[in-house]
Amino acid sequence: MPTNVIMPALEMAQETGKVLKWLKSPGDTVAKGESIVEIETDKVTVEIEAPASGILRDVTARAGDVVPVGQTIALIFAAGEAGGASPTPAAAPAKASPLARKIAEQHGVDLARVKTSSGRIEKADVLAYVESHSTSTAADGTAARLSAASPKARRLATERGLDITVLHGSGSGGAVLAADVAAATLPAAQVPAAAAAAAPGVARVEAPGVSTVWRIMAERMTTSWTTAPHFYLVREVNVSRLVSWLEKARKQTGAHITYTDLLVRLVAAVLAQHPRANASWKNGAIVQNTDINIGLAVAIDDGLVVPVLHRAGTLSLPEIATCREDLVGRAQAGKLRPADIQGGGFTISNLGMYGVDAFNAIVNPPQAAILAVGRIADRVVALNGQPAVQPTMVLTLSCDHRALDGARGAQFLGALADLIEEPLALLV
Amino acid sequence: MSERELTYGEAVREALAEEMRRDPRVFIIGEDVAEAGHPFKVLTGLVQEFGTKRIIDTPISEPGYAGIGVGAAMTGMRPVVDVMFGDFITLAMDQIVNQAAKVHYMSGGKLKVPIVFRTTLGATRRSAAQHSQSLHAWVSHIPGLKVALPSGPYEAKGLMKTAIRDDSPVVIFEDKMMYRVKGPVPAEDYTIPFGVAEVKRAGTDITIVATSSMVAVALGAAKMLEEIGISAEVIDPRTTYPLDKQALIDSAKKTSRAIVVDEGYERYGTTAEIASVIADGAFYFLDAPVKRIGAMDVPVPFSPVLEDLTVPSEKMVFEAAKALCGKA
Repeated sequence: MPTNVIMPALEMAQETGKVLKWLKSPGDTVAKGESIVEIETDKVTVEIEAPASGILRDVTARAGDVVPVGQTIALIFAAGEAGGASPTPAAAPAKASPLARKIAEQHGVDLARVKTSSGRIEKADVLAYVESHSTSTAADGTAARLSAASPKARRLATERGLDITVLHGSGSGGAVLAADVAAATLPAAQVPAAAAAAAPGVARVEAPGVSTVWRIMAERMTTSWTTAPHFYLVREVNVSRLVSWLEKARKQTGAHITYTDLLVRLVAAVLAQHPRANASWKNGAIVQNTDINIGLAVAIDDGLVVPVLHRAGTLSLPEIATCREDLVGRAQAGKLRPADIQGGGFTISNLGMYGVDAFNAIVNPPQAAILAVGRIADRVVALNGQPAVQPTMVLTLSCDHRALDGARGAQFLGALADLIEEPLALLV
Repeated sequence: MSERELTYGEAVREALAEEMRRDPRVFIIGEDVAEAGHPFKVLTGLVQEFGTKRIIDTPISEPGYAGIGVGAAMTGMRPVVDVMFGDFITLAMDQIVNQAAKVHYMSGGKLKVPIVFRTTLGATRRSAAQHSQSLHAWVSHIPGLKVALPSGPYEAKGLMKTAIRDDSPVVIFEDKMMYRVKGPVPAEDYTIPFGVAEVKRAGTDITIVATSSMVAVALGAAKMLEEIGISAEVIDPRTTYPLDKQALIDSAKKTSRAIVVDEGYERYGTTAEIASVIADGAFYFLDAPVKRIGAMDVPVPFSPVLEDLTVPSEKMVFEAAKALCGKA
């Protein structure tokens, strides 16, 4: 039996993916794990790896094609297997009910991995799989609940590329309604013609085309801005100990460690003590993430992507540095893999290198908080009752007030500030 | 179009008289239809004009006169059978369901049954459990029958004329509480096609599909809704079979919410059929489940206080619409 190469689902609301370019041609021998095709998803360009070793054949999606998630786009025949034999059904590797397919698609589940006792995969089988593989547990104990949304809201969200699970629902039982989707998108069509027309004497330049990454960034930020009630906590911290720690760490390890790496290390430690900052507001419940996965906001040519350092709390500083270098490098090269951008629970956005003193970041939905890091600068501070010049940094924690409140946010930020001012506390 | 007004009862009578003058094959048969002029006085004066050969009083036997009507229709006449209370249609079910509805099909199209059964629906007349039911869903369920529910005097005349001219068996349910309701009715000859719904009031926020006397209830609720900023569209299917599915779906697509109001019992009722049509045809345009409001699922009480509680009211429709629009 040949192995199906399928269009993967990388996020909850993704319906389709676009084939950018095949890295292998039909008839090529591919090794399992080797990149074979570039896919553009809603957030990023990723390379899809061969799910098996063998010969690539029956490529059904050409560059530029937009393909529904879960659809087979090529087959890989094992050596010796008759090429061009009858391909397996294209839609999905197993028999499944339409509802099961829909739910699998929503949760990015590969139906081939779902076990069923009845010979036909049903909704319950998919939900059981989702539950057993879920990295989050809802406050009410049910994992991966289906989000309530009206049919019209679902359709509009799909049309506008919005993730319905992160929208605030105003309907009964927290159901997302059409109005909620409309509130999360800019009513571009409502710009009055008079305003759209250029004022006399003002030259107008045709704006360049917007990339998918940019459009999605715009839509996700709008969703966050209009649905998540933001509040901001600002704290100036003395970073003299952090500066010396960085020097020592670089010397000891020989690795090119950055302030961002140190912050990842510290934030991971603080998230373990303050799990509420590592959560999401979903369908009227607070969903706690069990893993500590920290996203890093990375600027790329056509917008912003947030690759994720998974289980950051388990990594040593050199490992964090290696991971970060790899992720940032591949983000800028447009070579992120699906797994790289999934599962983030908290985000760090550092604009210090751009000379910014402090800024307010927009929460990365569906996360509860994002840490905005300003530059390190020598500033005059009071030290033991005397003015002193010390290196300081301004941290701003943006919080989604549905998942975090002021006190909890402040406790998290306070614990982080204490660690930055005395990193040795990590060892306690 | 003239601007004169007639009552609902007068509009029915005018339709019958015009059709009987136009077509000698049309005759009326039933209990108390001649001298008595019908318990609701709908037929007053017809026997004077057309005589007892065309306005035929029968003994109290619904199966008997309904059977006579079916036979007469099969052999070339165009009878209008008067079943004075909708509740009595149960006695003529064999003639209507097993004979009238089947003959055209079972004869391979060789026989036609151009018959009209006139009957009533509607509660609140203090007529108690056996004279107050709205049983139109029962016959709407049967292939081979067409069912019309006039919601006012204009529809009463137009739909009756269409029914008499139609070669299929038609059951017309008139709301017994509406016979004295006045409205504009053209003096000229006009018909209303079956299977064409009418938008009684245009709106943008919610669709209220209403039948028969519930159209007035829906329009009253729409007025109340307007005061709180909800724009309701009221649409009258006019016939439950054939049903103008597309008009109902299009309206629900436009407003994204729908309520169906009908005076038949809620369970297994007309509201269920229409709600299902909308849910199926407008699914991806709906922002809320389709709401049904029918008569309470109980025998209609004789007590006025209790009876009034069993029928959908303007307030019920208003509250349901408000809730669907998220303003409850």
